[in-house]
Amino acid sequence: MTRPNQRATPRSNARVAASKGMAFTKSPVLAVRLPDWRSRMVLFVLFAAFAALAVRAVWLQGVSTQFLQKQGKSRYERTLELPATRGRILDRNGAVLASSLPVRAVWAIPEDVLKSPPEKIRDLSRLLEMPEADLRKKLDSDRTFVYLKRQVEMPIIAEIEKLKIDGIDTRKEYKRFYPQGEVMTHLVGFTNVEDKGQEGMELQHQKTLMGVAGSRRVIKDRLGHIAEDLGMFREPHQGRDLTLSVDSKLQYIAFTSIKNAVEKFNAKAGAAVVLDVHTGEVLALANYPTYNPNDRSKLTGEQLRNRVITDTFEPGSTIKPITIALGLETGRIKPDTVFDNNPGYMTVTGKRIRDTHNYGVQTVSGIIQKSSNIGAVKVAQMIPEQEMWEMYTKIGYGQAPRYGFPGAAAGRVRPYKTWKPIEYANMAFGHGLSVSLLQMARSYMIFARNGDIIPLSFLKVDEEPVGQQIISPKTAAQVRTMLESVVSPEGTASKAQVAGYRIGGKTGTAEKIVNGRYSRANNIGYFAGIGPMSKPRFIIAVMVDDPSGALRTGGSVAAPTAADLFSSALRAASVPPDSSITDIIIPEVPLEESM
Amino acid sequence: MSFKLNALLAALLVGCALSVVNARYQARHLLIELERLQQHARQLDIDWAQLQLDQSTLGKNERIEEIARTNLNMSRLSPARTQYLTEGAP
Repeated sequence: MTRPNQRATPRSNARVAASKGMAFTKSPVLAVRLPDWRSRMVLFVLFAAFAALAVRAVWLQGVSTQFLQKQGKSRYERTLELPATRGRILDRNGAVLASSLPVRAVWAIPEDVLKSPPEKIRDLSRLLEMPEADLRKKLDSDRTFVYLKRQVEMPIIAEIEKLKIDGIDTRKEYKRFYPQGEVMTHLVGFTNVEDKGQEGMELQHQKTLMGVAGSRRVIKDRLGHIAEDLGMFREPHQGRDLTLSVDSKLQYIAFTSIKNAVEKFNAKAGAAVVLDVHTGEVLALANYPTYNPNDRSKLTGEQLRNRVITDTFEPGSTIKPITIALGLETGRIKPDTVFDNNPGYMTVTGKRIRDTHNYGVQTVSGIIQKSSNIGAVKVAQMIPEQEMWEMYTKIGYGQAPRYGFPGAAAGRVRPYKTWKPIEYANMAFGHGLSVSLLQMARSYMIFARNGDIIPLSFLKVDEEPVGQQIISPKTAAQVRTMLESVVSPEGTASKAQVAGYRIGGKTGTAEKIVNGRYSRANNIGYFAGIGPMSKPRFIIAVMVDDPSGALRTGGSVAAPTAADLFSSALRAASVPPDSSITDIIIPEVPLEESM
Repeated sequence: MSFKLNALLAALLVGCALSVVNARYQARHLLIELERLQQHARQLDIDWAQLQLDQSTLGKNERIEEIARTNLNMSRLSPARTQYLTEGAP
């Protein structure tokens, strides 16, 4: 910096201080006398400011990089949701039983929607299939987010979008469809609006069926195109498909048979189950009354009940073959051992046990064929309680089932040490213990399969499971012969005969407990059977609950239902007939089993 | 000599830079195409699921029986009017 110029210019037009003869601008008073340090100071401050900027730049570029990078990313990076679908449920032949499809939930900002013209709101209410008053009620809210309707299918969404109403938006979600509807629902179950399993296999296999949505980071350009893929943030997991053991065709046959039976016999409910003898697969499981899983608005507990798996009941006479089998197995009786059932009743510790008729002297085969209570009790009395209890336990009665079905009932078999003589006698013909229909069907495996029992499966089985031997093949064959004699004109299950096939089985009738007592007027009729007898393929168990017509016993309500089911099922499965008998003889007054 | 080398390297550099620009451009376009096709694949998956569902709905045993009985006047088969052929039999 230079000092102010003090050169005098005579030609200057500056005013002159006449008195001193000096130009004004040259006046020493005006001379600025700045100290040297000030200029250095300015220089220093400027330098320091630049240095500070440089340091800041280095700091942001090199050291504290995160903050700005994060801010930058949030301006150009986007997280994209990668959807994952819930797995499908298929039947053994690959037919779809449950499948998820994308739908939309319609939501609204009430304030904005109410500003649109009334005819548009009317159109919206029509598209949502919702009375306009209801729609307006939903919109009459202080909230800024209101669901108008969830799970709306895509074609309707397209029309709603065409209306272009302000404040209406949609959110992606999935809806579960059940094409087989009420026929299959007790087995498949259903999911709730959040796509979470609530019943049946949907609940049991929630973890594998469930899809987990993933996400990924991308850079989007001005036009919304993805410019760069930054990779997976979270890998999506698609739900896995589930193949059940059920056969849609057999299921339909079982369902129609049981539905017809409930209507024909004026019953409260009915259930049927079909098992594959070789693999232990559950091929059909039908319940009536039922419900439509696609529309559960009027669902009642009665409809929801799964009478095959979660209900237990006293098995009645269907347990007799088990009692007899144990007697045969332990060598205490032979098929032709004779028992005297006269005079048609007997007394155990003061309590009377009776048969419907006096069957007189009968062989063991006769006891099964005529379903004699007295005969069964007499056989049981030869067997110690402990052995009987072990038998029940081995065939799964009273044991927590491991079929992989939610809510499967264990039934009830009390410890043998607490059995009183009369109670043990009652158990010989199926009273005083309870089982589920599925447990009962499974226990007949020992007859259908040469004496061993295998675990049941609701999923398709690829290889035959290894069985646990309970009785010898010889005993199994002997009992099979007896079971076949039951399904003959002389047996209690004459109505279970099927043209062209040899069927074996046992009827049962149990009195229901009403208000804590056995009721004569309210029965449950059962039939558990095996067919065809030459080469067992299916085990079928049928239950008809509280038939209120003229016919009430297992032999008259459950047996014909089972016959209907057997004939359709064997034909549907292309099983060659093993009997040349094509005309069925049913006696005019069929033999009824005792209760 | 030195000048020629410099010129050559400079030209090479510019060429590389331009090819990088081109490659980026191509990559971006391919990515957009890939995205579009993936979207299409997802849509086709959904359509496939929908069609399988439709097949299952239309192939419902109940519907088949109904049509067979009413429209086609079919009735149930009985063993009495069935001829069974045994394989290998004379």
